[in-house]
Order: sequence, then structure tokens, then C-alpha cells
Amino acid sequence: MKAVNHKRLADILQEWSKGFKVVAPLKIDDNIRFKEWKEGSEVILNENSNIPPKEIFFPQTEEMYEYSIDKENVEIKEQVPTQEEFIVFGISPCDLKSLEMLDDLFLTKGFVDPYYKAKRDAAIIVAYLCDKPCRTCFCASMGINYQEAKGADIVIFKDGEELAFAAQSPKGEQLLGQVSPLLEEKELKLPAPEEFVLKADVEGLAEKLASMFEHSYWDTAYEKCLNCGACTYLCPTCHCFDINSHNRCKQGFKTRCWDTCMFADYTLMAGGHNPRPTRKERFRNRFLHKLQYFPERYEKTACVGCGRCIKKCPVNVDITAIIAQLKEVDLNG
Amino acid sequence: MSVEQIQQAEWTPKIVGFCCNWCSYAGADLAGTSRFQYPSNIRIIRVPCSGRVNPHMVIRAFQKGADGVLVAGCHPGDCHYSTGNYYARRRMLLFKRLLEYVGIEPERFQVRWISGSEGQKFAETAQKLTEQIKALGPNRKLRDVR
Amino acid sequence: MRELVDKAKTIAKELLAKGEVDLVMGWEKGTFEDKTSPLFMRKPEDVDKLVINEFCFNSLAPYLLYYKNHQGKIALFVKGCDSRGVVRLIQDEQVKRDKIYLIGVPCTGMMELNHEGQLVDAAKCRGCTHPNPVLYDIILGEEVEAKSPGERFAAVEKETGSAREEVWKAWARNYDKCIRCYACQRICPACNCRECIFVDQGQEWIERRVDETENGAYSLIRAYHIAGRCVECGECERVCPVGLPIMKLNKKIAKDIEELFGPYEAGVDLEDKSPLGHFKYDDPEEFM
Repeated sequence: MKAVNHKRLADILQEWSKGFKVVAPLKIDDNIRFKEWKEGSEVILNENSNIPPKEIFFPQTEEMYEYSIDKENVEIKEQVPTQEEFIVFGISPCDLKSLEMLDDLFLTKGFVDPYYKAKRDAAIIVAYLCDKPCRTCFCASMGINYQEAKGADIVIFKDGEELAFAAQSPKGEQLLGQVSPLLEEKELKLPAPEEFVLKADVEGLAEKLASMFEHSYWDTAYEKCLNCGACTYLCPTCHCFDINSHNRCKQGFKTRCWDTCMFADYTLMAGGHNPRPTRKERFRNRFLHKLQYFPERYEKTACVGCGRCIKKCPVNVDITAIIAQLKEVDLNG
Repeated sequence: MSVEQIQQAEWTPKIVGFCCNWCSYAGADLAGTSRFQYPSNIRIIRVPCSGRVNPHMVIRAFQKGADGVLVAGCHPGDCHYSTGNYYARRRMLLFKRLLEYVGIEPERFQVRWISGSEGQKFAETAQKLTEQIKALGPNRKLRDVR
Repeated sequence: MRELVDKAKTIAKELLAKGEVDLVMGWEKGTFEDKTSPLFMRKPEDVDKLVINEFCFNSLAPYLLYYKNHQGKIALFVKGCDSRGVVRLIQDEQVKRDKIYLIGVPCTGMMELNHEGQLVDAAKCRGCTHPNPVLYDIILGEEVEAKSPGERFAAVEKETGSAREEVWKAWARNYDKCIRCYACQRICPACNCRECIFVDQGQEWIERRVDETENGAYSLIRAYHIAGRCVECGECERVCPVGLPIMKLNKKIAKDIEELFGPYEAGVDLEDKSPLGHFKYDDPEEFM
């Protein structure tokens, strides 16, 4: 197995960054964000980034096109989504899984989102297998083995002081070839898998939820939720956006920005009617989307168990607890 | 236009002046009718009272390209609505310190009391403000560069 | 604080059983030992889940805004800072004093896990001046001493040295991190506008674009909007998912209010007038 001492990781990134833009989870003040790696940047592995790597492919603010109006003529200048190949370094297995879900959403069922596709196609994925799960992690419950990374071009894991590299695709081979002088051949193996503190069982939940839209469970479950957007913005699978225009006299541009079903204006219609008028409907929508609507459409639960929402929710709304409560609800009661 | 492009072109500062209808706007009017010369960098927005000026308007002006902002109202005691400028005084005192705290030059945001008979003072204020902001150069802070 | 829980349970149960209130707000154990979550108790048996400990961070005051049209009386547990939040809401006529029943909890300070996994005094409690509730109907236990009231403005005292450009760069770097989830605004007991200019689309004050200019405007206006109302509970900073120093702006404003207009702490006295809601003829003058 190809390996390098973890202290020499920067050399590898340095080598790669000669040919590619390298995006990695970097320490920025007290944050971990996926940003372009430059010499001297500190890479943090084995910890969830504050903002999930979805922001690489689906940025919070993305410009779509510019327009200008001259008398009768409208000129539209599209921000053509082209992207050179780039490396996404250090993505964790759960976040990698979330990309599958975003792929489903942005690329399948006859709708292809050119903005997402351009970046997704250009990405070479280097996944990092977690050393051990954090206390807020429950990816195993969502069917993810944190010791494998399907779909990544290269997989890295740490054994003691050494980082092991394994290519999983021709692109990955090529990339490893580039840094082969830095790598040594060594016998390394994955640490034994560890138990998770948090668990969730979503078996059969989607079917159950299909008849729970009007259930009294929702009448009190929502009460603590303040309807901020932290959980949805931090969620690697949440993908809602809205499109805003920025007008200045006769010219302007359109941007698409992350939106969240937690905000009152998310479903607000022109004319003032809001089909989700209170916190209850918004809260219900978030969980039904994750646990029922998405599974119905794409046969996957829209949660990868990264635990970011549990960690950062201002009032400790815990999705694993909600799943447990939903499982216990008596439909005849 | 980006800040850089503006700087390359011949740059003169843009100053937004929020002038109260009853005193400062009349003061500006008097400056005009009295033929006092003052730089044309200041663009006046007439407001009913200095107490009407929402701090968000000031931030908005900086965002949309102002290099300086002037809020001008009646002298304390002279407010047409009797107390509006007293509220404005507290509000602006505090707001000015907040802007300074995040690193915005104090010269860029100024408040003056200018009465309807002080055409000369209006002209002088506009003159001085323009000079100060010219010395500072274009504002980049809070600026919407897009 | 843990020893207060039995008495708290008795009081809550009694209130519900006698029908004096039909809702009691408290805290329950959260996902982990060091987390709690707001708890809404409607029946005496709900009270069994109640906990009171050094992890009861959440102020329950903001929830009162959701029960403005509630018919019955609502009881809630309040620490020092929470009670100041309630006072603010009463001052703003968001809730009526006779519609709420306050159970005071003298607070010995919150604890949080630091990055190394050790329990330490919570950052938000540093410089707390009112650990005891300032308004209550009944209080659990003895009043406690404030730990570090002298450090109220510690966050804004240190830095005066750096050059203006550096200061702006540091703030711009912070604005760059903000994701505008509005957790700081939703959790704030001082934020009580029925319609918030930040959340309502269709207003033109602020765009949803997340960049330096819009985030900068958001954070400045949010801070300024609660000038003179901020009860310095530090919840905004605690809940920020990207760890922005939000309280710095709030503390800076609070400090300036004291310097300019005399001693003032928001939400301490029901009779106090908001510093920006009134004026004095001899206020400092620097605009002549």
C-alpha cells in the first residue's frame, strides 16, 4: 500500500496543486471550511467541516446570468458553467454519500442542472476515511460504512503516523502516479471499526410517515424549534434554493441562493397566502422531506448521519430522537 | 464599475446627504440662491426630519457606492416636530461609534446641524466633507462590488 | 443548580395540577449529558422530564412570542439573563405580566465542553452581572453572587491598538463566514418584530446573496436594531454555527450607551426607558 507520513501531507498537496486547484477542509479561525488549499493552509481531517462540502458543487450564492435592457432589446449573458478539473481533498464517507443524493436531485429524472453538473464532472474526489466516529455521528444507521468510500477516485486513511493512499479509478491512479516519488510502500491497515453513540432506525419509516401527515405527533413535536435555518444550511443533503434578481436601472443579474423550508417566506405566495403558516408545518416538512418524500422519489433517506444538525441546533432538536419518536407513534392511537 | 475601475477613471467622491426638509434642505437651498460655491459631489436626499434617518439607510448608501454620508438636521431645540433631532442625536452618536468600531473611517459618516438660515454653513460643510473624503479615497468597506 | 430540581418539579406539578397555568416551559435532557432542550409541560406527568443544571443554556423568553394569543397563563423557568429577556418583552408590550408566572432560578453559570473535551465555564456567562432573576413570582433557592461582574465589557476592552484597515479586514473575514441562517436572530429575546426585515423577502433592504456587503449590512443592522434592548445573555454567539463574535458588537453598543447616556442595563427594571427611545436635552453633543 502506498503511504506517506501524515506530516508530509502538505508536500503531496503542494505537488497536486501545481496542476489542479485543490479544495480541502481548511482551518479558518475556529471554522473548518472547504476552501482552496494554498501553501501554509492547515488541513483538518477526521472532523466534520462546519459547512458541508455541498458548497463546492452548489455554492450558497451562485450567479446564473446577467441581463440588460436597451429599449426593445433584452440581452442575456449567461455565466457559462465551465470548470477545469479540480481536486476535492479530504471528503468524509458521509459527505461523499450526500453527493450521491445531490446527484440524484440535480442530474436525474430528466432534469440536469448545468451549474451543478459542470462542477461535479470536473471534480476528482479524494476521500478520507474517518479515524473514529464523533459522538454526534450516526452514519452507520444510515447505511454508511465509514471505512469505505465508494465513488471516490482515491481513498486515504490513517494508520498511526502514516497516511495510506489507494486509487479506486484510472483518474486516481494517474493522480497517485504524480506524487509517487513521495510515497513509500508499506503494510497498513484500517483501525478496527468503533461503535456509535447515536443510532437511528429508519426501516419502514417512509411508509409509516405516508399516513402521518395529519397525525397529532406534529402538534407538539415542533414546539421547541425556532425556525432558524442552521440545520438546513449545515445539512449536506438539503438542497433547496431560490432565485433572486438584482436590478439596477436597466441591467442586473440573477443569483440563486440556498433557501430553507424553515423560513416563513419559503412557501409564501404572491398575494400573501402561505400554505405553511406556522412553525409546525415547517418543522413537519423538514422531517417529511428527509424521511418520506425523498425516499419515495429516490429510494434513499435524505440524511447521511453526519450529525451537524445535532451539533449546531440552537435548541438541540435531535433527528435521531425524532426518528425514534416517530417509530414509536401508534398510528391507531 | 468596480472600485478599481473608478479609481482609474478620474475619481471624485460621491457623498449622500440626508437633509431634513425644514432646516438643512432649506439651508442648502439658501446656499444655492445666495450663489455660495460648494462642490457638486454631494447628492441631497430630502427627508422630513433627521429623526427619520434609519441607520440602515446610511449602510445602504455605503453599499450602493457612496464614499461618504452626511446627515443634516435642525439644531437641537429647533426641530419642526419639536423633538425628532434629539432622538436622531442619540441614534447617530451611537451608530457612528459602531461604524468606527468595525473599521469605517469616522470622516465618512458625519452629522451636522444646519439651520435654514445657514446657507454659508451648508456650503462650508459640503466643501470640508468633500476634501476629507477625497483625501481618504474611494470607499471599499461594505461596498457592493458586484 | 442541580439541587433545585426537586423543588422545581413540585412547583411545576402543583401549578399544572391546580390549573393555575396550562403550560410550563422548562428544560429536558438533550442528546448528551451536556445538552438540554426546551421542554413544554402541559400535564403534571410531563414534569418528570424536567431538569435544571448547568447546561440549561436556552432562554425560554423568546418562546413567549409564539404564545401571544394564548388564553391561559404560562409559567416559565428563568435564570438571571432569561428574566431580563422577559422584562424586555413586557416593556415592549409583547407579553402581559399577569399572563405569565415566572419561576426564578438563581444561576451559578453555565458549563460547556471546550475543544479538548473538558467542561469549562461557558463563554457566554463571562461578565454576567445578574445571575439572579430580576423578576419572578417564586424563586428556587438562595440568591448567588455574580462571579465576574467587572468583566462585563472584557470582550471589547482589549483591542484598540490595531490599525483601522486591519480592524475592517478582521470583520470582513467574519462576514465572509456568516451563512445567514438567522439563528442569532431567532434565539434573541430582544428580537420581537412581528415581521423581520431580514427574513421577509419582497423587502429591498437586504438581499439573500451571501457576501461581504450583504452579510456586513446584516450583522451591523442586527446589532444596531437591538441596541438598548440586548440583555447580554450571549445566546446569539453561542448558537452561531460558524462561531462569529456577535456579542462583540452588542457589548460595544452597550458600553457606548453607558459612556454616552449614563449607566444602563437592558431588562433590569420594568420602569426603565430604552436609551434610544427617549432623550435628554443635555445629551452629549458632537455634531455642531
